[in-house]
Amino acid sequence: MVLEADILKVFLYTGAALSTGIASLSAGFGEGYAAAHTARSIMRQPNASSVLTRTMLISQAVVESGAIFALVISMLLLFGGFTQGGADWAKAFSLLGAGLAIGLGCTGPNFGSGYSAARAIEGIGRNPSKSGRITANMLIGQAITESGTIFALVVSLLLLYTVPAQMSEPSLAKMIMKACAYITAGIVIGIGTFGPGTGIGYVAGKANISISKHSKDQGVITRTMFLGAAVSESTAIYALVISFLLIFVS
Amino acid sequence: MDPNTTQILAKGIAQGAAFLGAGICMGIGALGPGVGEGYTAGKACEGVARSPEQAGLITRTMLIGQAVSESTGIYSLVIALLLIFTT
Repeated sequence: MVLEADILKVFLYTGAALSTGIASLSAGFGEGYAAAHTARSIMRQPNASSVLTRTMLISQAVVESGAIFALVISMLLLFGGFTQGGADWAKAFSLLGAGLAIGLGCTGPNFGSGYSAARAIEGIGRNPSKSGRITANMLIGQAITESGTIFALVVSLLLLYTVPAQMSEPSLAKMIMKACAYITAGIVIGIGTFGPGTGIGYVAGKANISISKHSKDQGVITRTMFLGAAVSESTAIYALVISFLLIFVS
Repeated sequence: MDPNTTQILAKGIAQGAAFLGAGICMGIGALGPGVGEGYTAGKACEGVARSPEQAGLITRTMLIGQAVSESTGIYSLVIALLLIFTT
C-alpha cells in the first residue's frame, strides 16, 4: 500500500501551504492590531513615540514567532526528504495533519498576543513613565499565550518524525483507522488552542491596561493574571492529551 | 468483496470515525471554556486593579466562575476519551 511519489507530494504541498497560509493570516492580523494602536497612541502622546515604537517592535516579534514555527514546518514538509523511501496512506495523512496542527494551532495565540500587545501599547501611551513595568507584564503574558503554539509545534514534529513511513502489518481497515487518527491529532490541537490562546491574550491585555492605570498594584494584578491564565490553559492541555493519545495509543 | 472482508473494513472505518469524532469533540469543546475563562480572568484583573483590598474576594469569585465554565471542557474530554477507548 505504498503511495506513488506524486500522490504523496499532493499531501506534502497541501500541508505546507495550509501551515504557513493560515498562520500568516492570524500573525498579520495580530501585528496589524498592535501597530494600529501604536499609531493611535503616538497621535495622543507624540513625545513618547520612541518608547511606543520600541514596544511595538518587541511585541510584533513575539507575535511573529507562531508564523515562523509554521514556516519551519512548511520547509520541513517541502524539503525534509519525505518523498524518498515511500510512504503509506497513514503517513501521508500524518504529514497533512502536521501542517494543519501548526497552521491552525497558532491562530488563537496570535490573535491573543496581538490583543495583549495592543493593550500594553495603549497603556504606555496613557502612562509612559511606567513603560518598563507594562512591557515586562506584556512579555510574561505573551509568553503564556504562545504556549498553545508550542503545543501545536510539538504535535507537528511528532507527526512528522515519530509516525513510521510504512506500517508493520498493513491492512486496509487498519490503514483507514490510522489515517483518521493522525489527521485528527493535528486538527484537535489546532482548534483546541484557539479558545485558550484568545482567552489568555484577553487576560494579559486587561492586566497590561490595569497596570498602566494602577501601577502600584502590579503584584496583585500579575498574580491574578497568572492564576486566570493557568485555568484557561487547561483546555489546551486536554487537547494536547487527546492528540498524544491519538498518535501513540490508536 | 466477500462478507468477512467487508465486516473487517467496516470495523476499521467505524474506529477511524470514532477517532475523528474524538478530535473534533475535544477541539471545538476547548474553544468555549478557553475564551470564557479568559474573559472572566481579564475582568478579574480589572477589578483587582480598581479595588486591590478586595483581591481575595475577586479571585475567589473568578475561580468559582472559571470552574463552572470549565465543566463543558471536561465533558468534551470525557466524551473524547470514551470515543477513543470504548469503541
